[in-house]
Amino acid sequence: MRWAIAEAVLAGALAGLIGVHVVLRRLSFFTMALTHATFPGVVAAAIIGVHIYLGGALAGVLVACGVAALSRRRGQDAAAATGVILSAGFALGVGLVATQNGFSRDLSSFLVGSILTVGPQDVTVTAVVLGVVAVVLAVGGRSFVFAGFDPTGARAAGYRLGLVDLTLLVTIELVIVTVVPAVGTILALALIVAPAAAARLWSDRLAVITALSVGFGVASGLAGLLLSGRYDIAAGAAITLVAAAILVLSLAATRIPRPAVAA
Amino acid sequence: MFEAPFMVRAFAELALLALICGPVSVFVFARRLSFVADALTHTVFPGVVIGFAAAGAEGIFGGALVAGVLTAVALTLLTRAGLLSDDAATAVVLTAMFSVGVALVSRRSSYTSDLTTFLFGRILTVTPRQLAETAVLAVVILALVAVGARAWIFRAFDPTGSAAAGFRTTWLDLWLNLVVALVVVAAVRAVGTVLVIALLVVPAAAARTVTDRLPAMAALGTVLTLLAGYAGLWVSWTASIDYGVRLTSATAVVLILVLAYAVLLPVGRLRAKTVGRAKTVGQAR
Repeated sequence: MRWAIAEAVLAGALAGLIGVHVVLRRLSFFTMALTHATFPGVVAAAIIGVHIYLGGALAGVLVACGVAALSRRRGQDAAAATGVILSAGFALGVGLVATQNGFSRDLSSFLVGSILTVGPQDVTVTAVVLGVVAVVLAVGGRSFVFAGFDPTGARAAGYRLGLVDLTLLVTIELVIVTVVPAVGTILALALIVAPAAAARLWSDRLAVITALSVGFGVASGLAGLLLSGRYDIAAGAAITLVAAAILVLSLAATRIPRPAVAA
Repeated sequence: MFEAPFMVRAFAELALLALICGPVSVFVFARRLSFVADALTHTVFPGVVIGFAAAGAEGIFGGALVAGVLTAVALTLLTRAGLLSDDAATAVVLTAMFSVGVALVSRRSSYTSDLTTFLFGRILTVTPRQLAETAVLAVVILALVAVGARAWIFRAFDPTGSAAAGFRTTWLDLWLNLVVALVVVAAVRAVGTVLVIALLVVPAAAARTVTDRLPAMAALGTVLTLLAGYAGLWVSWTASIDYGVRLTSATAVVLILVLAYAVLLPVGRLRAKTVGRAKTVGQAR
């Protein structure tokens, strides 16, 4: 249980950190596709006997390149390309699992995670990745935002856009590969998007959004674990619901002072 | 393989779904609703769970219908208000609704087997009654599409123009989201989430590589889905019977559909070269 709490705090912080950029750049669907398409890599790695983080990372890089290549084709936009890659990866992973024995157990833990059974190794990996991502964002955060809001200006200012975008995608990929084996796809998506979307409602300043987002992420993790223990429901589901509740409360709270904006 | 009656029923179910998914996927493609379609496949899950708990297998259909309609309304309202970006709102609705389903299921004992059924569906055990239900839904969906088609196209390619011409954008969006929800409800119990999301996204995306006329895209999407359905069933049948490899039918169908997409991509590029720089339809927001 101690490890589960540590993992919830670390994963919440990690997801909150990267989530700011996912929400600002509107990459939620891409994140969803990554979580699903990393799956066949993890399964294949487990079957062959390679380390699962390696398999997941490799599959994720393939997906990122695939979406980028497909969406440049005539008439194919990013949403459709992402959808195609998502279905292909998902079907491949599920098909691979189904050929193995005892697969239903693996599938459900892939979807909703098994945060209660994480060990010291998972927590260490998450902590290390948290450090790496914090450094990357501290160094590159400004250029990510610049390139996102004003690509032309960023190019004129001498940034290499392809490199900036690729760095951001690979960082997102790194977070997903770290978090999904421990907490599952649905929880990973919820922890990445919901706290950051809630934080975005409170402020327009990147530093404030990031701090709030990390805070919301950690709070969702802790409160969800607590609720899950008390009411005997799946931990991943409880954390997701707390994260969604924070967003709904933020929506309600930030709308009260400014009723004129309401649609 | 069609000497086995259950394979005939499985193919009949897939054929019905091909008939509705061809046209509907064209609108999913034109309006860029892939993520919404993905969200709907997940959000019907709590409805399935509650329906099953309340009324057994008979309740699944009603539960899924209620959950699908609720999601369609919630997504339309959240995106209209403009407080959250579309994709963030969709992601939150998806994860929250799915988690409600998981939380409910996790309090029962047969936890994993339910989830597995939900993922794969039970295409090989489709009953004549389920086939009849799908057929009725298919007629309803095609009627709704036929009524909405022109307005949806207008709204997809020229949102300002359609609003100026008096179309209510919110109602059109809600209508399309409801149709997608109905498709998900019709398909999810038989073929599972893995296949539904593929059926809603891949046919139109594949057809788009070789044509940019919408009716042709719809027809080609349906034909592709039919072929993939037949080939997928055959592959999974052969793999299980002759080679002892457990390959689920839904997975095989999806993989063959995606394969068709991959094959059509270079074909489309060749055609683009010969036709010259055709105007890029399908790019409208």
